[in-house]
Amino acid sequence: MSTEHRDNDEQRAFRLKARAHLQANLPPRVRGEAYLDWEDKAFVDRDRVIQRALWDGGLAGIMVPKAYGGQGLDKRFSDIFYEEALPYRLPWHFGNGFNIVLPVLLAHGSEALKTKYVPAMLRGEHIWCQLLSEPSGGSDLAGVLTRAEKRGDDWVLNGSKVWTTGGMEGDFGMCLARTDWTVPKHAGLTMFAVDMKAPGMTIHPLRLVRGNSDFCQEFMDDLVVPGDHVIGDVGGGWTVAGTQLANERAGMARGWFEGVAASVEASEITLSPEYPAFAQELGIAGDSHARQLIGEAFVIDAVARLTVQRVAGGIMRGTLPPTAGAVSSLMAARTDTRRTALLSELAGPAGVVAAAGGNGPNIGFARVTTHRIGGGTTETQLNSVSERYLGLPREADASRDLPFNQLRHNALQGK
Amino acid sequence: MDIDLTEDQRMLQDMTRRFVEDRAPIGRLRKLADGRQLFSAGEWTEAAGQGWIALLVPEAHSGFAESAQGLIDAAIIAEELGRVIYAGPFRSSAVCALAIGEAGSPEQCAAHLPALVSGEATGAWAFAAGSVRGGLAPGGVAVVRDGDGYRLDGTAAFVEDADMAATLLVSAVSPGGVSQFLVPAASAGVTVTPLDPLDSGKRIANVELAGVRISADALLGGFEGAADQFERQLQAAILLQCAETVGVVDRAFEIALDYTQQRLVFGRPVASFQAIKHRLADHVTQLEGMKAVVAHAARAVQAQAPDAAAAVSVAKSHCGRWGTEIVRDCMHLHGGIGMTWDHDIHFYVRRAVSNEALWGPPLAHHERLCQLAGI
Repeated sequence: MSTEHRDNDEQRAFRLKARAHLQANLPPRVRGEAYLDWEDKAFVDRDRVIQRALWDGGLAGIMVPKAYGGQGLDKRFSDIFYEEALPYRLPWHFGNGFNIVLPVLLAHGSEALKTKYVPAMLRGEHIWCQLLSEPSGGSDLAGVLTRAEKRGDDWVLNGSKVWTTGGMEGDFGMCLARTDWTVPKHAGLTMFAVDMKAPGMTIHPLRLVRGNSDFCQEFMDDLVVPGDHVIGDVGGGWTVAGTQLANERAGMARGWFEGVAASVEASEITLSPEYPAFAQELGIAGDSHARQLIGEAFVIDAVARLTVQRVAGGIMRGTLPPTAGAVSSLMAARTDTRRTALLSELAGPAGVVAAAGGNGPNIGFARVTTHRIGGGTTETQLNSVSERYLGLPREADASRDLPFNQLRHNALQGK
Repeated sequence: MDIDLTEDQRMLQDMTRRFVEDRAPIGRLRKLADGRQLFSAGEWTEAAGQGWIALLVPEAHSGFAESAQGLIDAAIIAEELGRVIYAGPFRSSAVCALAIGEAGSPEQCAAHLPALVSGEATGAWAFAAGSVRGGLAPGGVAVVRDGDGYRLDGTAAFVEDADMAATLLVSAVSPGGVSQFLVPAASAGVTVTPLDPLDSGKRIANVELAGVRISADALLGGFEGAADQFERQLQAAILLQCAETVGVVDRAFEIALDYTQQRLVFGRPVASFQAIKHRLADHVTQLEGMKAVVAHAARAVQAQAPDAAAAVSVAKSHCGRWGTEIVRDCMHLHGGIGMTWDHDIHFYVRRAVSNEALWGPPLAHHERLCQLAGI
């Protein structure tokens, strides 16, 4: 719903400028089109062009300070922009960059890094990714084994990162590496801005259980990073990672794809026509058990959406603590897991066997992995909710206070 | 319901909480449950004096609906009543006042609303067939025209607060549709048979209407024209029940969270074990879901939004399933003490389980959602 009636003169002028520029320069939003498809290079590159078009129209980085290429405006202008942008495709492949990297750079980056990289991102030149998890472990992020050593003015990185969204298309990455092995694990980390195209960086797509490749694994062999590309302090990597993860949770809580209508504003419950259509296709729309499954699917979808909205709104207004974000993540995980079970039961054999030549059967597999593992395993989310939101005692961690080089850890995995 | 309230609504919440903690604490329920005392008419007039019914009734009939947010405010009260497993006839009276205010003639409003507002009269709504899905549609009572008036026949099942009410709101079916009547409980042919509820704070009865003759002026709204009004009342009743369930679960969870942090086992608090923490994390997550969906349903029903029917069924399914799940586990988390009569937690289990089953269990609402979706 448009809030045009609330505009003051300055806001009205901005709205009209945005409306004209978007209409002249942005492709329409196509119903059913994916937000992301990292395997389709042309699709990713089109988002670069779209971001450039926003830059050219003075619509990039609306709340980013002018000193770093943004518009220096407040949230009201951002809301106006998203209202006007509803009919158009937005450059969602920049989601990692804008939701996570940009706030981290603004909070912890040196003046040189901010001046160089923030405007480049806003111009659509750099897609950023996050180099966090490693083959040796994901939940225990502070246990990363990637080694960074000082050589002259530069740093030299060796190790491997994994589960990097869009790694193949990434231009730069924020990479968490260990710079001191003689101190406890959280104290020996440093965050680097690394060039994904630099010599020594090898990127492999990871083939997932369904055959798709949204994630990559990277190998760093004597990758040279300039000394001034440390984000935050040397040894302060865990603080930077904290900001990073907080922004990731906040982004997921408010809706990762900014500008999609299903944000905090949209409130009506809609009963997805997909479930009834699927049951009709299977010829079981009148079956009382099938109707129970469909009814429950309606319920869990609506509850999950309303919960995410409530939590996001509560955090924004300060009526819920920021730690409530973990509740949204856990709700999403439980809902997706349950929905897959409901749909599998509804589909029966049709969920595991399909006609040859199509996209293959996938119902029994749909999102089975992503929401139990991705964005933090269900177990880490359960810990987050119980420890951070409910304030219950933290898990004992024998590794917390020992020097890292005295800890047991999984082996560093070679190529 | 605990976020996004206006200043006035926060005051209403605080005042209601203080009133029920003072006048209707669990200790009061315990006396009712032990059978030593009955819920008294005086207790209800004192409660109604808080304005609980008045906020649904227009000023012309002794209420102040014009300065309240009707069912949103009523849901705030219902949630507070859930926290103490309140025993008074709030929901029944509220729904009857809403029905009469929306569908009644000026004479009916004048005859019934001021007494409902003051608490001198209480409401009861009778309509259901005794089946699992009976709580969602009229079907227990049939009506035929009888001279200038009407005749009612049948049995309305599981009627809340029927034994307290001097006037029953009866929804009855005939081949042409749904009609509603205000029936004096003392009418010839009316038999109220109290049942023995699991929930010690509830009064539930079957209401038999055997050839009950009523005059034309007992008709509320149009003959065979009350289907939409019935749905509206149903939404209000389910909303208020779900809001109550939120209060029940919220308080039971507080009690369990507190206990498991105080209670030591193997030298540590019970709540420090991951097996317990993870359960509590799931519970609070689904409880947030209950609060989110009930807050949405309150706004939707109050605004008569297009998704109001779906919203109450989503709320009822979710609150029904998780209310029971969470509160049963809250009892479990107390270990042996939770199995004793002297601990309060069983009152919460009784209310949660009853609320899941009455006004349509989740499976009845799943079916209703399919119908709303057009299949």
